[in-house]
Amino acid sequence: MPTDIIVRDLYYAYPPLHEGAEAAPVLKGIQLQVERGEFVALLGRVGAGKTTLCMALNGLVPHVTGGVFRGDVTILGQNTKQHTVPDLARAVGLVFQDPESQIVQMRVEDEVAFGCENLGIAPAEIEERVTWALAAVGLSDYRQRSSLLLSGGEKQRLAIAAMLAMRPQVLVLDEPTASLDPAGKAAVFKVLAELRDRHEITIVMATQELERIARFADRVIVLHQGQIGLDGPPHEVFGQVARLQEWGIGVPQMAELGHLLTRRTGRPHRFIELADAYRELRRQARKLHMEKLGPAAAPRAARRGRSLADEPQIVVRDLAHVYPDGTAALRNINLDIYPGEFIALLGPNGSGKTTLAKHLNGLLKPTHGKVVVEQHDTRTTRIALLARSIGYAFQNPDHQIFAPTVEKEIAFGPRIQDLPASIVAQRVAEALDRFRLIPYADLPPALLGYGQRRQVALAAVLATQPMTLILDEPTGGLDWRSQQEFMEIVADFHALGRTVILITHDMRLVAEYASRAIVLLDGTIAFDGAPAELFGRRDVLDRAGLALPAVTRLAQRLEKHGMTPHVLTLAEFAAAWQARVGACRRKSGKAGRTVAKVRDVDDSQF
Amino acid sequence: MTASFDLYQPGNTAIHRLDPRVKLAFVVEATLLTFLWPHLGVVLAMIGVCVLGLGWARIPAARVGGVLRVIAPLMIMVFILTLLFGAGTGPALVAAGPVVVTAASLARGALLALRLLALALIIFLWLFTTDQASIVRGFVALGVPYEWGLTLALALRYLPLFASLFEQVRDAQQARGLDLEQRSFAGRLQAYQPVLVAMIISALRHSEHLGWALEARAVGATGVRRSTFRPLRFRRADGIVLAGLSLVFVVGVALRVL
Repeated sequence: MPTDIIVRDLYYAYPPLHEGAEAAPVLKGIQLQVERGEFVALLGRVGAGKTTLCMALNGLVPHVTGGVFRGDVTILGQNTKQHTVPDLARAVGLVFQDPESQIVQMRVEDEVAFGCENLGIAPAEIEERVTWALAAVGLSDYRQRSSLLLSGGEKQRLAIAAMLAMRPQVLVLDEPTASLDPAGKAAVFKVLAELRDRHEITIVMATQELERIARFADRVIVLHQGQIGLDGPPHEVFGQVARLQEWGIGVPQMAELGHLLTRRTGRPHRFIELADAYRELRRQARKLHMEKLGPAAAPRAARRGRSLADEPQIVVRDLAHVYPDGTAALRNINLDIYPGEFIALLGPNGSGKTTLAKHLNGLLKPTHGKVVVEQHDTRTTRIALLARSIGYAFQNPDHQIFAPTVEKEIAFGPRIQDLPASIVAQRVAEALDRFRLIPYADLPPALLGYGQRRQVALAAVLATQPMTLILDEPTGGLDWRSQQEFMEIVADFHALGRTVILITHDMRLVAEYASRAIVLLDGTIAFDGAPAELFGRRDVLDRAGLALPAVTRLAQRLEKHGMTPHVLTLAEFAAAWQARVGACRRKSGKAGRTVAKVRDVDDSQF
Repeated sequence: MTASFDLYQPGNTAIHRLDPRVKLAFVVEATLLTFLWPHLGVVLAMIGVCVLGLGWARIPAARVGGVLRVIAPLMIMVFILTLLFGAGTGPALVAAGPVVVTAASLARGALLALRLLALALIIFLWLFTTDQASIVRGFVALGVPYEWGLTLALALRYLPLFASLFEQVRDAQQARGLDLEQRSFAGRLQAYQPVLVAMIISALRHSEHLGWALEARAVGATGVRRSTFRPLRFRRADGIVLAGLSLVFVVGVALRVL
């Protein structure tokens, strides 16, 4: 097998943002070799240098970014220092995170042909390559379509096809699925796996998709503090649960479960994938005759719901919304939202989640029916007034960041509510402290890293102290630790008795935080109830393209072997499993005939 | 939805198939003739030709309606201003203090307003029936440097994107309590400042990423003569239309000059 990528002693620092500033190195001595046909996943926290390393592989670092570059990057024998980025494009294709800023043509086939044209390839061969590349990403039927009207997942597959048409041996992707819904993510991963299997294309992909990496990647590389911290097959790397969690990166849920069960029971549980976990726990359940225990009671999640005496805070009646172009986005929506609820708003992209959320703060007005927020009809209330009770954190922090300093950005909301200066100052100080942004208070927020910009955006919304907080896909593209910190802050806000409405695709968040789940399908409410109930509704989940958390599926599969079903979270699973194992042991202690056998098991396992 | 839109209306009519260079010739010629002849008749005829063309190309009425909605306020403004201050000579039809409306200013207002309409229809007949890549190819084939053509293509591609970016930024700032409603013009201008600044930052970030994407797509590869995936083909129909256009143009100019 030829070695397609060789990185030797790579050190890189971006040029300083202003004169006199120290250039902080991002990469500090990277050593890496990638063989032909490997599918390598690149993990690391937000800001760990994943993007920088991806861009070093096609020469954008340092040719375009400048800065201090030491060491060598060699792609198919070509040292990136000696070749320009356009020339390296024949060997390596780079797909970026944002589909919008890499699609430059308005027709699908023109987009795919564009790179070939730039390489001066003859039209007849371009024709062949376009046909091949579109087939490889499953977009053959889209040739003549407008590239602007594709879904996010289709746009990313088009971006991949556009690279493939240049026939690169190496394909590098920088978080290509961060902004996609589950269907879009699944389609992109499937395409990549096929490219490796059928065309022996070498793939390096920076991503936060832990579950999918465990399934698809051949090798996982973890960037930590500018160096390669771990490097190996998924089952080895994800076996290092404690270390990865300490680094803030996290592991697939099954690896985390194995780690938790090992700690709780003392018996080593090592699994990364659901199938392995199922086999191992089933074996143990059989040995203990767990299925002979009576049916287990479902765990009761202690979640703050609403008290019945409360008046609804937001009332939605017969809401319909038709956009000016005639698209009917919402139909027949009826909702009562009570103070203190934690609502997860779910559904595939285009099902109307954001349209509904924008009705709650008046950004959109009903075309039929009405929305009443704390006694104010949104049709006759100014958005600025509604914004005082409804905080809305958008998915993209860059849509709101404008101020010259972080401090002023956070002060903006409280200030335009005409609060006294002393109160504004106090709220800003609290927010800076809570989000650990004090060192950045005087820096321009637009120049911070992505994770920090997200925090500034949320801090700015929370500083207005709204009664209700709407979060649109808050954790997409964030690493494990950043997600946890983010959700802790949201949970604290909720603990004050405030309402949270979370728009998400992440069923783990639903399982861990939500007290109520609402699923939208084609603009209507397909489900409205407790998350535990939703998790049993296969029909709704399938239609909405929602995948249950791995622990929930594992518990469901183990049910016939005696495990408690209806488990939503890791902690619930571990507690339920321990309880069932404990019950088996007590039972076998009383029943004489199995004592010897079980004691045997006990000795070896506990 | 406020999805990014594409001016091009896909189709396979004779007008769609015309060589983009011929369509460009039509745009130039029709514009010149419209402005060369200060006659209502010529302008109306041009509008008629464009309407026929739009019908032939099967452009949905809704899209043409969209153009009219944008152009109508401008037409009304031009008409009223010319009517009131066009100061035509001749007997006054209506006189109220310093404002005098004459038959001449009425005619002139109508002419200027309809010229605007004709110009819009000419340009949109071209944009609706010619896809972005063909427009660029047409320009490049006429000797415009490729970089300019690419810049034009990117502008066409990103205008709708920036329009939707503007909406998203405006929504995000309003959601933070920024009051953009019910204000004086000056107040509104002031209020829009956060929207514009965030917009500019986002646009800069966007163009930086776009620059990377273009390099990664081998724009400017050394020692390469750029090829064309769908080369332009000048067919007989194109020749006939071009000949017709030339004839009309020569006759039109001759009649005007003589």
